[in-house]
Amino acid sequence: MSEELFRVEAVTKRFGPVEAISNLSVALRPGTIGLVGPNGAGKTTLIRMLMGLLAPDSGALSVLGFDAAREPLRVRERVGYMPEHDCLMPDLTGIGFVAYMGQVSGLPREVAMSRAHDVLEFVGLAEQRYRRIGEYSVGMRQRVKLAQAIVHDPELCFLDEPTSGLDPHGREEMLNLLRSLSKLGHRSFVLSTHLLPDTERLCDQMLLLDSGRKLAAGSVSDLLSGHNSETVVRVKGDAAPFLAALSSKGLEPRWEEGEVRVTLRDGETRPVFEAAVESGVELRHLGRSTATIEELFLARVREEGTRRAP
Amino acid sequence: MTISAPRYGSTSSERLGRTRRVLAIVRRELRRRAGWGTVAAVALAFVSVAAVVIVDAEFASLTRTLRLTTLEAPFESPIWPLLLLLVATSAGAGALAEDAGNRSIVLYLSRPIRLLDYVGAKAIACGTWILIAAAGPPLTAVLILTLLGVVPTSIAVSAALGYLAVGLLATIFLTGVALSLSSLTSRPLYAGVGIFGVVLSLFIGAAAVAAITGNLYVPYASPVTLLRSVGIGVFGGPSTPETDPATSAAVLAIAGAVLGAFAAWRASRVEVVSE
Repeated sequence: MSEELFRVEAVTKRFGPVEAISNLSVALRPGTIGLVGPNGAGKTTLIRMLMGLLAPDSGALSVLGFDAAREPLRVRERVGYMPEHDCLMPDLTGIGFVAYMGQVSGLPREVAMSRAHDVLEFVGLAEQRYRRIGEYSVGMRQRVKLAQAIVHDPELCFLDEPTSGLDPHGREEMLNLLRSLSKLGHRSFVLSTHLLPDTERLCDQMLLLDSGRKLAAGSVSDLLSGHNSETVVRVKGDAAPFLAALSSKGLEPRWEEGEVRVTLRDGETRPVFEAAVESGVELRHLGRSTATIEELFLARVREEGTRRAP
Repeated sequence: MTISAPRYGSTSSERLGRTRRVLAIVRRELRRRAGWGTVAAVALAFVSVAAVVIVDAEFASLTRTLRLTTLEAPFESPIWPLLLLLVATSAGAGALAEDAGNRSIVLYLSRPIRLLDYVGAKAIACGTWILIAAAGPPLTAVLILTLLGVVPTSIAVSAALGYLAVGLLATIFLTGVALSLSSLTSRPLYAGVGIFGVVLSLFIGAAAVAAITGNLYVPYASPVTLLRSVGIGVFGGPSTPETDPATSAAVLAIAGAVLGAFAAWRASRVEVVSE
């Protein structure tokens, strides 16, 4: 596997007057990558270009070491794609469908059939493999979509809203499947989703996009820890005098969902203890606030808006 | 559900080339298009066309010397082209429409094949059925007549080549019509009605307009008439073609190619990764 999963260099893509991707540059290493952004952020356009289905107006993209615009078939030999919407062939059995997709990906017939059995067992459809897909439930259809995406053992798999349409139980099962697949280590995933908690649970890297621009990219843990410098304090007793005591020390505390949130100067915790003593409350928790991807995303959108404002 | 990593029983990393990938699609499409409608239409073509050729040749051999023109029988009436139209409708209506309807076209185009590979595979599968119906019955008839000693080998070879040439031309045109109309909808039924309706309307409409106006160019609008003219032209009479055979052949070939290109263009409009 290449050192870099993909590299995007100064890529711009326009559709008429609309700039879907604007001078985007990013390089991410193999792993599980969350592609996050609102509708119109450019996620779809980026995936299309990474799969060699769309050429950029300017710039270059390489995927697994291959130029996506010049060698699209080489790229697609090595990637799998699980679409969000229904796209199955209802007249085929699960095993027939997955084996067929393996053959279209270039696997010899016997190899495709053998692997179809393997992946259907993996996704939990071993017993239903000889049933027609038209009889499958929504959850089973999602699983067979995943099976066809990995039947040819791709190095990189694009997953478009993999938990879409699933009930909470089915969603949990799909996330577990993806987690176990990603733990194998030799296969990378690009997960495009609106469900930010899914990204948080599965991804080790992420790319935040908005209006075709990169808001943030890199390791999820680095981005989240670097984003938030707030301290969370939980107290036993009346919080009002505690808040007043913190304010009197030049801090700007907030009361939020039963917790006090405050940004400390240079991480110095002494004023918190002093305020607790002064207000007569008991400290029950003092720790760094953990941001969510949602908070990070909103903060980056605000920052980008401020930066671009005239 | 048990969660365990997939253990690929076959660890072979061998990948077949594009041709083999396309052949995989062709194989599936050939089976998929072999619905009862297609099989029935092909069987009807075999029975009716082969019977006409054999009976005509047998009678001719009793009364006069058998020549190549004697074997022109399939083109003397519009039955042969209309049977082919039935096959094209049955085999071609769902070629692209079904994939558009269930959106499986997305899965094809996300694989390591080109758009033209995909459309080409569909055309080969659909065209194979049309060619079987177009050339199969008269070729079978000629083979039987040759084995019975009714037709001399030299005439049989010429007739076989003639049937094959006209059959190929019919295949190119009808495959183009079927794929282009199939690419316009996601419902095979609509595509089927379109394929049959358009060609039949052109046949009836052109005949009516030509009868009323007497215009010699109007029959060129009818694919059925064009196919018959080419057949009659290839076999050298005795019927008189309504249109010039060479021009008719050119019109059918160009129309087929243009319609095929249109189908490919329509397929290229599909967004593989959708918003």
